[in-house]
Amino acid sequence: MNIANYLYLSALLFTIGSIGVVLRRNSIVVFMCIELMLNAANLAFVTFSRINGNLDGQVVAFFTMVVAACEVVVGLAIIVTIFRSRRSASVDDASLLNR
Amino acid sequence: MLTTPSFEYLLLSPMLIILAAAVIGVLAEAFLDRNHLPVIQLFISVGAILLALIQIYRIKSSSSTSAAIGSVVIDKATIYLQGTILIIGLLALLLISDQEQFVAQASAIPGSREEQESTSKGSIQTEIYPLLSFALAGMMLFTCASDLITLFVALEVFSLPLYLLAGLSRRRRLLSQEAALKYFLLGAYSSAFFLFGAAFLYGISGSVYLVDISSAVSGGYGNDVFVLIGLIFISVGLLFKISAVPFHAWTPDVYQGAPTSVTAFMAAATKVAAFGAILRIFYVVFSPIANQWRPIISVIAIITMVFGSAVAIAQRDVKRMLAYSSIAHAGFILTAVLALNKSGLSAALFYLTTYGLSTLAAFGIITLIRDATGEVTDLNKWAGLGKKSPLIAGSFAFLLLSFAGIPLTSGFIGKFAIFSAAYETGNIAVVVFGVLSSALAAFFYIRVILLMFVAQSQNDSISIAIPSVKSRIAIGATTAATVILGLFPSLLLNITQSFSIFIK
Amino acid sequence: MIRTALEVGMTKSPEAILFWVLAPLSVLAAIGMLLVKKAVHSALLLAWVMISLAIFYIAQEALFLGIVQIVVYTGAVMMLFLFILMLVGVDSADSLLENIKYLRPIAVTAAIGIGGLLVSLIGRATISHNAYGLSIANQNGNVQGLAQLLFTKYVWAFEVISALLITAALGAMVLAHSNKVRSKFSQRDLSAARFRGKKLAEAAGLPGPGVYALHNAVDVPARLPDGSAAATSISRVLEARGDVLESKQFELQQSEDESSDK
Repeated sequence: MNIANYLYLSALLFTIGSIGVVLRRNSIVVFMCIELMLNAANLAFVTFSRINGNLDGQVVAFFTMVVAACEVVVGLAIIVTIFRSRRSASVDDASLLNR
Repeated sequence: MLTTPSFEYLLLSPMLIILAAAVIGVLAEAFLDRNHLPVIQLFISVGAILLALIQIYRIKSSSSTSAAIGSVVIDKATIYLQGTILIIGLLALLLISDQEQFVAQASAIPGSREEQESTSKGSIQTEIYPLLSFALAGMMLFTCASDLITLFVALEVFSLPLYLLAGLSRRRRLLSQEAALKYFLLGAYSSAFFLFGAAFLYGISGSVYLVDISSAVSGGYGNDVFVLIGLIFISVGLLFKISAVPFHAWTPDVYQGAPTSVTAFMAAATKVAAFGAILRIFYVVFSPIANQWRPIISVIAIITMVFGSAVAIAQRDVKRMLAYSSIAHAGFILTAVLALNKSGLSAALFYLTTYGLSTLAAFGIITLIRDATGEVTDLNKWAGLGKKSPLIAGSFAFLLLSFAGIPLTSGFIGKFAIFSAAYETGNIAVVVFGVLSSALAAFFYIRVILLMFVAQSQNDSISIAIPSVKSRIAIGATTAATVILGLFPSLLLNITQSFSIFIK
Repeated sequence: MIRTALEVGMTKSPEAILFWVLAPLSVLAAIGMLLVKKAVHSALLLAWVMISLAIFYIAQEALFLGIVQIVVYTGAVMMLFLFILMLVGVDSADSLLENIKYLRPIAVTAAIGIGGLLVSLIGRATISHNAYGLSIANQNGNVQGLAQLLFTKYVWAFEVISALLITAALGAMVLAHSNKVRSKFSQRDLSAARFRGKKLAEAAGLPGPGVYALHNAVDVPARLPDGSAAATSISRVLEARGDVLESKQFELQQSEDESSDK
């Protein structure tokens, strides 16, 4: 099998993820699609690392994972905040929404 | 075997100071008395920025350029950009420290009793200071990063705090939180594009350093399909940050939803940082294949200018109007990227500074126009403002004229410098569209000015808040800078010319 | 010469088998992620894609990354996603109807277009050398090789990333942690408040949910002596979420009861 097949796979996964961001409306699913895109980029980095014969690409992939973890914390915190606001707005004070 | 890596700490010191201030701010948050925190945090942030500015001044003519094992390049342009970001940060900090735009307690549910009580108790979310410092440090690093890893990390370091800050508005909190979510999702989307592009540039060159990628781009490593993929995807990631059309969708909503002082900071400083990186990448890495990307970037610059100016006309909200104007300005600065020469770079640096300062001033003034429920951003209610406060309305009118590029304002000098640089290199079409869209924008800005001074006010509900000393300094300094740089542009033009050097 | 495929060298056949089994499955899972209605199912499909990628990493001599992918991504990040989904409501289904007309066909066309373009572009690329492989770079072990790079060449980025971690922690604190602005009411306060309330009937406290119904659960309203449902017996939060069961179906069937008595 050609090693470049990993690159095709990466491109396909990236495209699927990027379309998912446009198509889905649930913000958590949109965020998961973004994670899929980051994973696809990581696969490309690991494959290129093998092609180029150095470990730099793997280091980048490692950094990406750390960055993604931070992004997930912030993103999900924002999503939960909105969730709490909206839900309670329907209980406590509906006027905020009508503005 | 491992050797101890050598840092050039002096060159990194401006960033390290800001990062240290952020960490100290976090610690202060944890251990110090809540009642004194606002003052302490402001002191830490302002002190750090001043220290960092002193360090910038000290290293302004240093001989060594690469620092942190080649991850960072400190050249003249970097020093200029970092200085600009720090000054904008300092002035924005003065606006932000007027806390009443920020939510008293972000975790309290909007409309709940907890929120009311924490608001009436005057409690304050002082974490915004360390967050702002992190954003500043990330922006400074973004302008000088010279490998893809550092670029990506810096991009995230300055983006994450901004996503959070955008959601902390005191009034219309749901709108603000949704702005934060939108900013976050689209920001993460664009950084995924950036990363995918970076993967292919690494693939072609086997290295993440911009220098190596540059030599790989200029040939010898096979054909340039991978370069093209890398170029396109990295550009998408960066063009998103400067909100160029068609990657602008987040801008109006986020600018409108975020607390106005944060919007001011985002509009001014993010633009400087992101253009710093764009200029470096296009000047250093992609200049050998300029023929391939120039047409695409020209088209993007043209539609950005025209679209931003045209859509601004339809806006009935001041913040949204300035958002579209900032989109249009991104197009003008992109024109300087096309020039790819020293005068283009110098013009871009000049434009970024003047635009950043005028934007800060404009948003600063918006924070002053209020009614019973808070800031008034509806343009219709601004009618007759000129009679209520000629000084404030006059300053705002002057800033709008500067955005439009009317002579004797700094905006005019900036546009003139950029268009003449683009003209030198033969991008006539872009220049023509640029001038046309400036005229289009001027039409609308003048309408706003007429609205403020000529139209009769329909209601007397709006009032002009008396600015605090800090806001007064920030708004006064930025407006004065717009005036002075319009009358004596050579003060700054000489500096930008001598600082417009990128080192590979 | 126009190449039909990017040539960078061949893998051994076990890896090829692994690829041809896992790659189509992971693409299917990714497509499924977009099509399934429930967010939880999307999350599980994404976890499957991530585990497949971890196996690919290990196959491509990136042992450390493969493990980290499973531990950090699948283990921590996806669990966080699932956790939030549980919090938000596991049944929260996306309405797959679009506001914008024709968005779906446009998006699908664009997907096929962009994907096809990207794949064909990659197919036309050339690299001047075959894949070098990582046997030299990994000769002291993959982890050691990565560590060496991480702590020499990329140590600056490694240090800066700590700023990111602090920001993330700080951000979560800002949005989630609350300083108590008031002390919790003591029982005495609550009791006094009840008696000073509008109705003396409420002074004895609100009825518990579901006590008199056949279905003894928190989501069923209790029944008052006259047989009607007590709206105050259910938590407001459940009501807002629409998780309240209709109490009618648990009411005693009058006629049946009477007939059995006789």
